[in-house]
Amino acid sequence: MIELPLAPLLYTALLWPLLLGLRALLRSLIAPSPARVTLDWLWISAPLPALALAVLGADGSLPLQTWLLGGRWELDGQRRLLLAFTALLWGLAGWYARGYLAAEQAQAAAGDTDSRSRLVRFALPWQLTLCGNLLLLVAEDIASFYLGFALMTFAAYALVIHCNTAKARVGGLAYLAMAVLGEAMILAGLLWGAGSASALTLSQLRAALATADAGLWMGLLLWLGFGVKAGVIGLHLWLPLAHPVAPTPASAVLSGAMIKAGLVGWLSTLPLGMAVVDASFHALGQVMLSAGLAGAFAAALLGIVQRHPKAVLAYSSVSQMGMLTALVAVGLLRPESWPALSALVILFAAHHGLSKGALFLGVGISRHPPPWPGWLLWTLLALPGLSLAGALGSGLLTKWGTKTVLDAAGEHTLVIWLSLAAVGTTVLMVRTLWCQWQQRARASADGQRALAPMPLAWLLSILATLSLPFWADRLAGDLTGGRGGGFAWPPLAALPDLFWPLGLGLLLALTLGWSLRRVAPWLSHWLPAGDLWWPVAKGCRWLWRISRSALRGLSALQAAWVAWWLARERDGLTGLEVLTRAEGWLRRQLAILLLAVAVGLAAVLLFSAQSTPLWPQYLSRHAS
Amino acid sequence: MVAWGLAALLLALAGVCLLERHLWRACQGFVAFALLMALAWLLLGAPWLALAEALFGALLTGGTLLWTLRGRGSLPRLAELDQTPQRGLWMAPLRWLLVLCWLGLIGAALVWLLDDLSSTSLLAATGLLILGLGLWAFVTHRHLLRRLLAFNLLGSGVFLLLAGVAGPSAEVWGLILVGLVVALLGSVLGATLLLRLHAQADQITLNAVFGASADSAR
Amino acid sequence: MNPTPLHLLWLLCAPLALGLLAWVRPPRHSGLVLLLALPLPLVALWLALGLEAGPMAGRLGLGPLVLHWRLDGLAALLWLLTHLLLLASALYAVGYARATVLDARAYAWLWPLLGGLALGLGLIWIAADLLLLYAGLELMGLCAVGMMLLPGSIEALSAGLRYLLYALVGSLAWLLGIALLLGAWSRLDLAGLAALAQPDAVTQIALALLTSGLLLKAAIFPLHSWLAPVHGSAWTPVSALHGALVVKASFFILLTLWRVLLPEAIAGAWTLGALGSLAVLWGGVQAWRAAGLKQLVAWSTVGQLGYLMLAFPLLAGTSANIATLAWQGTWLQLAGHALAKAAMFMAVGNLLLSTGKNQLEGLTGTSRRLPLSLLTFGLAAVTLMGLPPSAGFTAKWLLLQAALAAGQWPWVLVLVLGTLLTAIYIFRVLRCSFVEDAPEPMLCTLPLGMDLIAFTLALAAIALGLAAGWPLSLLGQTVVP
Repeated sequence: MIELPLAPLLYTALLWPLLLGLRALLRSLIAPSPARVTLDWLWISAPLPALALAVLGADGSLPLQTWLLGGRWELDGQRRLLLAFTALLWGLAGWYARGYLAAEQAQAAAGDTDSRSRLVRFALPWQLTLCGNLLLLVAEDIASFYLGFALMTFAAYALVIHCNTAKARVGGLAYLAMAVLGEAMILAGLLWGAGSASALTLSQLRAALATADAGLWMGLLLWLGFGVKAGVIGLHLWLPLAHPVAPTPASAVLSGAMIKAGLVGWLSTLPLGMAVVDASFHALGQVMLSAGLAGAFAAALLGIVQRHPKAVLAYSSVSQMGMLTALVAVGLLRPESWPALSALVILFAAHHGLSKGALFLGVGISRHPPPWPGWLLWTLLALPGLSLAGALGSGLLTKWGTKTVLDAAGEHTLVIWLSLAAVGTTVLMVRTLWCQWQQRARASADGQRALAPMPLAWLLSILATLSLPFWADRLAGDLTGGRGGGFAWPPLAALPDLFWPLGLGLLLALTLGWSLRRVAPWLSHWLPAGDLWWPVAKGCRWLWRISRSALRGLSALQAAWVAWWLARERDGLTGLEVLTRAEGWLRRQLAILLLAVAVGLAAVLLFSAQSTPLWPQYLSRHAS
Repeated sequence: MVAWGLAALLLALAGVCLLERHLWRACQGFVAFALLMALAWLLLGAPWLALAEALFGALLTGGTLLWTLRGRGSLPRLAELDQTPQRGLWMAPLRWLLVLCWLGLIGAALVWLLDDLSSTSLLAATGLLILGLGLWAFVTHRHLLRRLLAFNLLGSGVFLLLAGVAGPSAEVWGLILVGLVVALLGSVLGATLLLRLHAQADQITLNAVFGASADSAR
Repeated sequence: MNPTPLHLLWLLCAPLALGLLAWVRPPRHSGLVLLLALPLPLVALWLALGLEAGPMAGRLGLGPLVLHWRLDGLAALLWLLTHLLLLASALYAVGYARATVLDARAYAWLWPLLGGLALGLGLIWIAADLLLLYAGLELMGLCAVGMMLLPGSIEALSAGLRYLLYALVGSLAWLLGIALLLGAWSRLDLAGLAALAQPDAVTQIALALLTSGLLLKAAIFPLHSWLAPVHGSAWTPVSALHGALVVKASFFILLTLWRVLLPEAIAGAWTLGALGSLAVLWGGVQAWRAAGLKQLVAWSTVGQLGYLMLAFPLLAGTSANIATLAWQGTWLQLAGHALAKAAMFMAVGNLLLSTGKNQLEGLTGTSRRLPLSLLTFGLAAVTLMGLPPSAGFTAKWLLLQAALAAGQWPWVLVLVLGTLLTAIYIFRVLRCSFVEDAPEPMLCTLPLGMDLIAFTLALAAIALGLAAGWPLSLLGQTVVP
């Protein structure tokens, strides 16, 4: 493989999206001609340098003296794989967006200024978010990492609320509220950890965290902070609310690429797989494991009753991230198995990212289907779901790898639990397809052409998902080198062991779907997307009302208090009038005061004097 | 003997000057008092000072006060009789007490300074008494002309006391000379102001007096 | 060329000569005044710079009479300050005469009185015997009274007459004290008295009498009540000069005499400190309640003079370090207040002239219309309140340190309360000026120069806080007189 020098590739990969975002902004501000296409080919090319970096870049690190506190960007096997699937997904989603927003583009070309501004509000944040996402992947110094993370988080807000409907605003609110909470915890954890160990890079931070005095608390803060992004159960509220309302390509990158930033955060900051770790981290590992498994199941249960395919997919993401959380927790609980496990975690992330991306893109396809035969379309729609459920491609690979590593580590129970979670995944996939089938649209004559950007990008994403096992090895490089031979395919004998969750899931889906079809609408009414968000929001509103009435009472109290003080001030001023009268008296009696001051001063001086009093002195002088 | 007579005469004239409600006579008394002061300076061996006293005190200050009473130019004349109401009686004990305290303080200091009774101590004692009289008058009177007279008498008392305590010396004559010039300037300025104030605001006291009718001031 | 006594004599007499010249032909252009009077502060500065080697002293024989004089760092600084403020006031007066309708004769009389005032102040700063001090004090007092009377209005006459009468009686009390001192020690020169005088009963009585007279002239509570009415009706440049310098001269004499005669009288010093504290509080409260702008500034003078009186307890019987702090703080407060008060009087005078109203309520809308005047007022107020980096801050900081080091915590309380009261009455003025809903006032425009002079003085007060090193280094030599 050709290897290109690192520095120019890194700079280009990060600056190219920024430049393109700037270009979109400037063109909208300056260029008077409305005929220009905002989402043109150049705009789509934004993640290409990053992809080139992932494929062609040499391993190494790039120190930056003048950047922040002295920056350091790196490229290694782990980053390369993450970068590759992230850039790929962004590129495909960008291309997909060109088709998805084609109507908007046409309106803008026709001179509709609202459409133009909406397009710019999509094009600019898209590139900013991409830039942040890439930066956090290559960053090795804490400052760059946090900068990238925050840039990605806050720029993505604009993508979430892009449609500007009431639901979108609620989703945006949920996203922003949780994001701010997460950022606060991350910042606190980073500053605390970096400050107490004066660490500047992430690896220093990991090492410092392992043995720091309050390492557990820093770790907890970081786990929860990144957990918001990664959708840890309890902190996942924004996912099912924000995904359905965001434009489909944005949903795809949100769920496929950006969620993984939380995982990257954990991998970068938590002392995973370290031999010498403070014992308290064991407890954190237990908590993470329980939370992960709880998330995997709870999200599956919640997802089943959703009616919007994107909401189902969002819950599926929470469920999958729950599994990943459980795997990361093993890194804390059994450090010795982490080297093998970490490669699988990365692979899992890439696999989930691409599959989920393809699934999300597929939601748009079933809404606006191209003029293809139905059986082909629905088979293609089902493929990434099957992969996610672990039946083929990267799913199968990941599942087998995980099972072997966990078995080797002695975590047999966890394997059972994960298999059961996979049953949930299968059910969710069936549910997604069912919802899509119910909400499908007929291919119309004025609809998409067979090879429009949307279907093409979608097809490519399916291809990427299915081909992941064949190129992941190459990119991951030394990541799997320790075990030799890259990611292994399961032997035929192990297949039943791997396929029973799929079968059970299908069975369960069919029976459940049949028996619960009456109560389903009722259930989905009682368990809306965003589950806990609604009680929390209600509680907040209630608190707000309470505090507002309390504030009203307080302000009345304050008014009374102020009135009382004003009355006292008036009294005081009337009292001061006495002083004015006293001044008049002083003025009239100035002569008397002059005499009195002299007499008083003389008295003070004479009586305080250390010398003997007046008369005895006089007498003694006479006597002498 | 001459000294005793002179002292008694000075005291009597000071009394006339300060107690007389008829302003014209009071001012005449002041001119006589100043001439007598000049005589005293002459006797103490300070002819230049005697000349200055006669010129500044008797001629200029006294003349200005008399001229003020006669009315200068077109300005309305002051009433010859002081008809401003007395100060409140309830403050009188305080006034007396304070004046006596001053006299007591200065007297104590004099006793401490002058061991034997001589002509200088007579001079100082006379000065002290005149000073007391002047103080009392300054604190008690309302009429500005009478307060100016009281100030002049007070000053003369201080000069006498100064001469008595410190004896004849260049410093004493220098201080008294400066004091005389200041008293002259102050009196002339005060009298002029009084006349203009009287002309413009019909006012002959510092503070507006309650219960004093305009007629009585006129 | 080193300073000689002849230079001092020239600096004493030149202002008077200039004043008499201006009496004959009153100046109409500030350029001429600047040209003729600028050498005075320059020579004073040169004198102050020439004192690096040490103070100058000497005697002047007039026949049998011997007069003593002495020019040390403090005196040179005060003299420089005097000439700077005189120059500023003279320049301002020219503008003032053009902006208002003044009686031509009264305006002509202003100039010789200014000259006399300069002579009197100069005598006080360099005098080293009581006779010279007496002459200087009387000359200054009479000139000040004369200047106050120039407006000729009934209020001016009435207030001026009170000032005259009590100033005269005050000087008699002071002369009486001198008489006793002369009788007891047969000396009038300060150096001789410092060497000879014992703190016995006669000295104490004499000092009590002296002090009462000087307290009256320095407008210290409770003998301050002549001050506010006098300022209410006086011309602005006269008010500025009076509030900045004339009352301070009496304080200067008072402090000098106490240091010479009774440096260890702690009870007496505390009494004076207590009077000063009352002055701070009383002046602050009265300024808060004052209806007129000029009265407010005059009352603020009463309050600020009280800070100076804190020097007595902080200097009496304290260790050398504390005494140095208090000494420097006091003179810095005096200089800073002199500059700021002159600036404030001028700023207020400009506001009054522009709005035509003397009441605080007349200020509505001035924040927009007269920003420079109001800015000057605010800058001067920064010094009065003692906010950093002004001279007022540095001075109060030094006093505070001295009070804390000496364990005399009541003065700390006074400093804090005084600052609080100052802030209250200052913000009362500012609040009135920022009221916008009143009808648009009719404003007349003033020459820019009048605002600039005030602004320069206010800046100087702040700069003094920033560059306090040089004056303090000059003061350092003079802790013990």
